[in-house]
This record gives sequence, structure tokens and C-alpha cells, in this order.
Amino acid sequence: MLLHPLDLTTALRPSLLPDETLLFVQDAVGLYEGKFKLPKYQNGQAYLTSHRVCYVDHQEPRSCSVAVQLKDVERPDFYAGFLKSSPKITLYPKPSKRLSHATPIAGSSQLSSAPPSGPSTPAASLPSTATWVCPICSFSNPIPSNFDPAIANARTPLPPCLACGIKPPMVHVVKAAIAAMTNRQTAGGPSSVPVESPGGSISCPRCTFRNHPSLAVCEMCGASLASVADKRLELAKDITRTESPGPFLNSSPVGKDIVDCIKLSFRGGGEKIFYERLKNALVQRKWLLQSAPPIPKPRPASGSGQPDDCSTQTPERQKVVGVAGLEKRGLEQRRNNEAVIGTAFEDLDALMTSAKEVIALAEQFASQANIGTSGNPEANAAASALSLVTTKDMLGSKSESLYLSELSRNLAEWLTDDTRGILKTEGGIMTLVDLWAVFNRARGGVELVSPTDFEKAARKWDELKLPVRLRQFKSGLLVVQGRDRTDDKTIATLLAWLKDLHSEPPATEVSWDWRLYGRGVTAQETAERFGWSVGVATEELEMAEENGALCREQGLDGLRFWENWIVKEVGEC
Amino acid sequence: MTTHTNPSTSLDPDNTTFKFPSHYSFPPFFTLQPVHTTRTSQLHSWSRLIQSYCQHHHLWTLSLTDALPSPLFTNTHLSRSLSLRDAREIISWMTTSEAGRRAEWTSPTSSTSSTSSTSTTSGDREDQKTRCYIFWRRPEEWASVIEEWVDRTGQKGSVLTLYEIVESESTRKEEFWGMERGLLERCLRVLVKGGRAQVFGREGSEGVKFF
Repeated sequence: MLLHPLDLTTALRPSLLPDETLLFVQDAVGLYEGKFKLPKYQNGQAYLTSHRVCYVDHQEPRSCSVAVQLKDVERPDFYAGFLKSSPKITLYPKPSKRLSHATPIAGSSQLSSAPPSGPSTPAASLPSTATWVCPICSFSNPIPSNFDPAIANARTPLPPCLACGIKPPMVHVVKAAIAAMTNRQTAGGPSSVPVESPGGSISCPRCTFRNHPSLAVCEMCGASLASVADKRLELAKDITRTESPGPFLNSSPVGKDIVDCIKLSFRGGGEKIFYERLKNALVQRKWLLQSAPPIPKPRPASGSGQPDDCSTQTPERQKVVGVAGLEKRGLEQRRNNEAVIGTAFEDLDALMTSAKEVIALAEQFASQANIGTSGNPEANAAASALSLVTTKDMLGSKSESLYLSELSRNLAEWLTDDTRGILKTEGGIMTLVDLWAVFNRARGGVELVSPTDFEKAARKWDELKLPVRLRQFKSGLLVVQGRDRTDDKTIATLLAWLKDLHSEPPATEVSWDWRLYGRGVTAQETAERFGWSVGVATEELEMAEENGALCREQGLDGLRFWENWIVKEVGEC
Repeated sequence: MTTHTNPSTSLDPDNTTFKFPSHYSFPPFFTLQPVHTTRTSQLHSWSRLIQSYCQHHHLWTLSLTDALPSPLFTNTHLSRSLSLRDAREIISWMTTSEAGRRAEWTSPTSSTSSTSSTSTTSGDREDQKTRCYIFWRRPEEWASVIEEWVDRTGQKGSVLTLYEIVESESTRKEEFWGMERGLLERCLRVLVKGGRAQVFGREGSEGVKFF
């Protein structure tokens, strides 16, 4: 299946995988399968992430949301729209999934349109770990899997270096690709190449499990067995490759499970940026980075930064033991941190690329700084919040409301996140101003949200049916609280507390019958009792007073609130 | 509220002490509540308290400045007291129809010289409202009480002086004994209007004849 079900967060946004980043959001999008509209998938938000294209339906977000993995996408196509027809982006699925099912002798079911270049077979694909090292910044970039050294020429598009953004010379990449392939073929041996055993089963290169020959990935460990097929095809000694898939790939043997293409129809605009970013995401292939080798650590002496260099350090270190070893290790660690920070902040692109490490470093520093103190949730929240940001440049320029609704969801997610417990520490309620400050602090000074946008976003919670709500007290103070927290509940807790005061004698001698009336409480006491801020406590008390549950006493020592015996006529005796 | 009359009709104020309602010992009672429903309830309670207090002590008029330190507005036990502004607020509310017009400000320029002579000491406009009638019975109610007394004692058709009605020994036991002259005149005016009495004579020595 090309369309995968999608997990949503509490705020009805796609929950992102680790390392996945949000690139773009557009609303008023509909889905087509082939030429036909998909019912129930006609009005929703399209989320472009580094790994997926997600569709979240506006009406039925829980049931009608799907995602397309970018790794399954062969290429996108753009249709600008004509008269009443909206602009569309077509996603053509990769044939790889069907490859395993289609036998070479598919026969008459194959399409007759043969490619011009004769019997087309995919070239020996590169191992997924094939990399080229950027001559500028020495970053190890993955070689695009469709890159073929045999047919590459000056016009072949090459992805720029992920770290420094500079396009590599063609020769460099070709060399790296060939090296990777020969490396695999020669040095790999039985451990890296899937072995076809006499029984027809293929043993996995990683775990040696014997898989059925028709499988593309190992059943046990998920390692790719694709090279087996490649190996078979290599026998043909024909490494010409066309950009379009071969004819037999177009046959659809499995029927409805496989779709020709998925179209996204952009009824509210935004298609151009979406297409641009989609193309970029497809070029960057962030999902490959998980298997890519770590960034080579440049040594202070040589700027060449060969990946092998780091291997020379390790044996040295292991030799030293004891306190000296620990000290040396600490020194190396510091030097390493220095290098990471140094390279990361050299330019912005580099920072984006090494964000993961910088964040990890920042978290480490934060935890070191926090040793001894009881964990400050805001500091912990700071680094991890970076991955959640919705920024204006992710969204279409003209759709201010979309930015706000995304920010609104973002906020709600952040608030309801149990691991942070922002609302819980504030007694379930906090003022919008406090929240704004905490939120921006958690963003770590990047992509700060303006107060106006923040308030507008907060006002959208009701409209978007999110689990938090914005409440305005009659003084105009705006507070944020969970949706399940109603005035009645607040009053009930307040009254329960005041009732308790009937049974415990007041601290100082009082002249009234405290068993009958309890005692009055100030906003200060209430704030301490429930963990609210004093402003919130005042407002909650006044709300309860307005409701008739409490009454006030203006004394010399300030305003106190009492149970409302004035109305209740308690001692009518 | 308007039908409320306190049944404690002890005519000997010095023998029994006034029993304050339970609200009186509730500290917030001495702060005028800002919330409407609570405030209304509080005003009613105060109105009841003031009326029954005045009835108990046979007070016809109340001077706020004099009454504020009195037990009516000051609970020495709680060390809480009503402020002059709040007290004025309560009395003003009692003059409204919502409260059954249980009070009435006496203006210093009114013809009832007996009440006005002591009421004004300063010329401040707001300070004029320091003295008021407390109608624990409305003048109409008083009129019927007097009429009932006349009927009971068989004095219909005879001429009575105002002094006789409110100050003589014969009415010593009646509720209206000691009523201020201005209030009595108003009660009689009600009866005259209804055709059940006639007032004649000069200013200061009027006589009244009940039919």
C-alpha cells in the first residue's frame, strides 16, 4: 500500500517520527487516486515532512488521515491547474514494491510500450551506506540511490552537500559510487551479499536468515535483499538505465492494493512552495541519514578530515587505563564537543544538518547544569521543543490563518504533553502571558512568537476543538486551562477547602463561631493552596463570588472570601 | 419582605435584650457585597435587622451618625462595623419600593420641625441624609392600628388630641405610644383621605375625630 494510516497527536497533527521534521503545511487539500477523487479525503491539511506527505482530514481527522512515505515516491509531478481544475501535485510510487511480486516472465499482462533503450534493467544499485565525502567540508553525504556512475554525465542532477550546500564535482561522486560498489562486490564476501542457497532461498547478509527468494527485505531483521535481484540482473551485463521504470513494472498484478499515483489537489493555493519543498525533500533523502555514518570528526591538526582519521584515535585511547585514561577521555570528549560546536555554527546549513548533535550536546549541558537542583521543566523542555516548532516559513505566505491554526495546535500539543506537565505545575491554570513567556523561553530564543499571534492562536483552541481552552475573566485577564476544568469544578474545590476550615481551628483566636462559618481566605492563601498565581486565585475567587458561592469581607487586612452564608441563611435557627 | 413583621412585640425595651440574627455574627455581613444576588439578600437581611431593632427599641427615626457606633451597626464582639457609606446605602435601598419603602429620609427643610431641628449640623449635601424614618410599620399600617385602637376603646365619634393619642397614659401600652408628631400627622392624613377621620384645630393643638 502506498497510503499508510497515520498516527495523530492530541492536537490532531501527524505525530512525527524521530528525526522527522516538518517542512510545510497547506490547508484545503483534496486527495485523488489516479484520476478519481477519494471520497472523504477531500478537505484537509497536507503536511510535508522530511519523511512523509501526510493528509489530515478536516472533518474526520481520526479516521480519514493517511500518509505517503517519501521513500516510496519515485517522483512528483506538477500540474498548474486550468480553469476550474485546481493545481495538483502527483506522487508516482516507486516500482520497487512491485518488483518483488512481478516475475520476469510476466507475459501478456505487460504493457506493450517498451522503453526505447531495449531491455531495461535497473542498474546495480548502490548499497544504502554508499557515501561521498564533500571536498569542502568533509561531510559524508549519501549517494542518491538512483545515481548511476555508468550513465552519469555533466547534466545529471547532483544533490548538493548536506552540510555545506555546495555541489560536488561530478568526478568526485562517480569515484565514490564506483568505490562503494567495488568495495561491496569484492570485499563484501558472504557477509555483505545475500547468498542464494541451493534451495532457492536467500540468506540475509545481516542475520543469515534464509528468506524466500521473492522477498525484497529480510523477514527477520529488515535488511535489504535487493542486491540479490540486482545480482541476478547483473548477469545481463546491461547497465543502461532509463529514468522511467521498465514496462513490466507498469503491470499491476496485485490489483487494487497498488495505486497508479496519488494526487494532491490544492484548492487553497500553496502548491508551488509545496512542490518546491517536496522536490528538495526527495533530493535530500533525510530518511537515509539514519544509516549514514556519523559526521567525521575533524582533527585540529589536519583539515582534510578523512573519515579514516577517527579510527586511528580509538586504539590509542583504549591503551590508557586508570585515572590518566579517564582524564584523557574527558579531554577528548571536550575536544570533540568543541569540534561539534565549532563546525555546527560555521554556517546555518551546517547547523541545520548537525542539529541533532547540537541538541544532544545542549541537553547534556543542561542536565549537567541542573545536577543538584530539582529538575527545572522549562530547561528540559527547551531543547526538545525545537523539533516541534511551526514557523511561518513552513506555511504558505498568504495563509495567516493557517499559521495561526498550526501554532494553535502546536501550543495545545505542547501544553498537554504529560512529560512536561506545564499546566500541572501551575495548578491546572496559568495566565496567557505566563504561558507566552514560558513557551518562547522553551523555544530557546529561536522562532519566537509575537504576542498578537500567540493570542490569536490561543483563541482558536475552541474552534479547533483542542483539549485546552482560553478563558477570560471579567477583569479581562486571559488564562489557559484544560478543557475539562469548568467553573463548577473550581467552585466545588474551593468550597470543599472552605468546608475543611470548619473543622480545623484558625491559627489565631477569632471572635466568631468558626465551627459554623469557617474563616475567610485571602487570594494569597488560595494561591498557595492550589498552586495558582495570585492573579489567577483572585480571579477564581471572584468568579466563585459572582456565582454566589462565596462572599467577601473587606477588612483592614485586605479582602477575604467566605462561604456565602448571607444567601444561604445558615443559622435560621 | 413587605409582609414581614417581627412578632417580638415586647414593649419593655429595657427588660429584654435584643436578639440579633445569625448574620450579625458573620463577619462578611459588615461588607456590602458587590455581587447583585448576594447583595440583594444582604440588603434584605439588613433591612429586617434594622426594622426589628428599631421596633424593639421603639425607635421612630434613626440618625446614622448616632447609630453607627450603636450595637445595630457595630458588632463589638467581632470588632466589625458598617461604614457610614454602606449604612447610607442600605437605608437608601430601604426607601425603594423593592424593599417596601421601609425607610424615608427626613429632609431638614421639611415641615416636621421636631425631627429636623437636630439633624443638620453641616451643610454638606450628602450629609443631609443622616436621619431617616424607619417604618417598621408603614404609615398606612399605623393608621389601621390607631383606628383599631379607637374602635377597641369605643372612642369613635369623640374628639381626641394628638397628645392624647401618642403621649397620654391611656395609650402607654400601645405600640404607637411615643410616636413622633410628624409621623402621626402622616398616619392621620391617611385616615382623613380615606374618610375615616377628620383633623381640625390650629397648628400645635390639633384635634382628631374618628368616624
